[in-house]
Amino acid sequence: MPATAAASRAGPPVLEAASLVRDYGPVRAVNHVSFRLGAGEFLSVFGPNGAGKTSLLRLLAGGLRPTSGEVRVSGIPLTVGDRAARARIGILSHLSFLYGRLTARENLRFYGRLHGLGDLDSRVPDRLADVGLERYADSPVDTLSRGTVQRLAVARALLHDPGIVLLDEPYTGLDAYAGAMLQELLSALKDGGRTVVMVTHNLGRGLELADRVAIQVRGSFVFEAERADLDAAGLERSYRRAVEGRA
Amino acid sequence: MTVYLRQVAAIVRKDLLLEVRTGERLAAMGALTVLVAVLFHFAIDQGLVRMQLLAAGLIWMTILFGGMLGMGRTFEMEREQGAIQGLLTSPVPLDGIYLAKVVSNFILVTLIEVVALAAYWLFFGFNYGNDPLLLAGVLGVATLGFVAVTTLFSAISAQTNMGQTLLPILIFPLLVPVVIFGVTATGRIFASRPVQEVEGSLYLLAAFTVVALTAGTILFRYVVEE
Repeated sequence: MPATAAASRAGPPVLEAASLVRDYGPVRAVNHVSFRLGAGEFLSVFGPNGAGKTSLLRLLAGGLRPTSGEVRVSGIPLTVGDRAARARIGILSHLSFLYGRLTARENLRFYGRLHGLGDLDSRVPDRLADVGLERYADSPVDTLSRGTVQRLAVARALLHDPGIVLLDEPYTGLDAYAGAMLQELLSALKDGGRTVVMVTHNLGRGLELADRVAIQVRGSFVFEAERADLDAAGLERSYRRAVEGRA
Repeated sequence: MTVYLRQVAAIVRKDLLLEVRTGERLAAMGALTVLVAVLFHFAIDQGLVRMQLLAAGLIWMTILFGGMLGMGRTFEMEREQGAIQGLLTSPVPLDGIYLAKVVSNFILVTLIEVVALAAYWLFFGFNYGNDPLLLAGVLGVATLGFVAVTTLFSAISAQTNMGQTLLPILIFPLLVPVVIFGVTATGRIFASRPVQEVEGSLYLLAAFTVVALTAGTILFRYVVEE
């Protein structure tokens, strides 16, 4: 079943992309992408390098202005710099957005202040505990391993309890153990009624978490499916076909 | 408004904390400031030239060069681990990010001015006049105008491969009013001239600063938005 058609099943859309287009000069990075996600839905977007996945995520985050089309959060068009919408979105990237010379606690308190959170004395330790990093609270981020930094980045992304979480290649640079730990943390997102979009190369991990999947090639969604209608082998076949078909 | 100010304060606090931890910008700016003063000390024959007449010009050029060195790196710390994306996708308005950077740069340049005044007093024994409050006011207003322009352009240059090289080329023509009116006002203060002789330059500096801050606040979003 196409993803768009499935929207009604999940109630009113929380996050909606309506014919999103983004050009960089003559290059079209995102080409008329549309989907609707309800509360608690997890969409995994796969695609090769240069498919426009990160541009799509930045459009959804309000960090990039669409050339045409629009993003709607709970039915309200998202504009670049929309403060209210941004407060509802958490972003986890392969880059941590953290400052290496600040400690884990200082980083979280900084982002908490940006979000105008008032209960940081209790919230920050709680979030650190959620990702198992209490003992690293006062360690500078520069001294932490890549996997630990990524767990801290999860705490940063979820610090303000966002209803929408956007994940951009979160497994990049992680070893198998760190990747498994991150997977465990991300699977917990599905319990909280959060709407999640993840772009990744990792078919296995992306499929494991997804309710719906899409394959993006040269900016366009060339394949969309419900998770229930797809197994790992089927996804791999579809992925290969989609990528080779557009190569 | 309170939330806005808290967000701005959070960024300023973070910037200053990082500066205290790394000392990167302050050390470079301070070293250049002192070095320029030392070089002038040896480059100018103080037996032929009345140094006091050059005091305002020397000090302002030193501040501008020293300040420029640090201001060019305003957004460098945000590029590490993509932190700039964390800022730009946070609920902080873009003008708030700009104003926070202006405030933290203002504090750094003010520290450099203290170093410059001390260095020139040490090497040349300059007389800074008898109105320290007026001097602080002129330096404060001119510095605000300087950092308002420089912060905006450092955001522009940070997005180019030639960032550090490009910044002075872009910025020095725009800083001509700060140089002209800053040097005139401080020169007259150093000469202990009446306040009335300083007012004109101070008002023009203030006007420049208001225009620079307003333009920076409005234009910053077009610089960082893609």
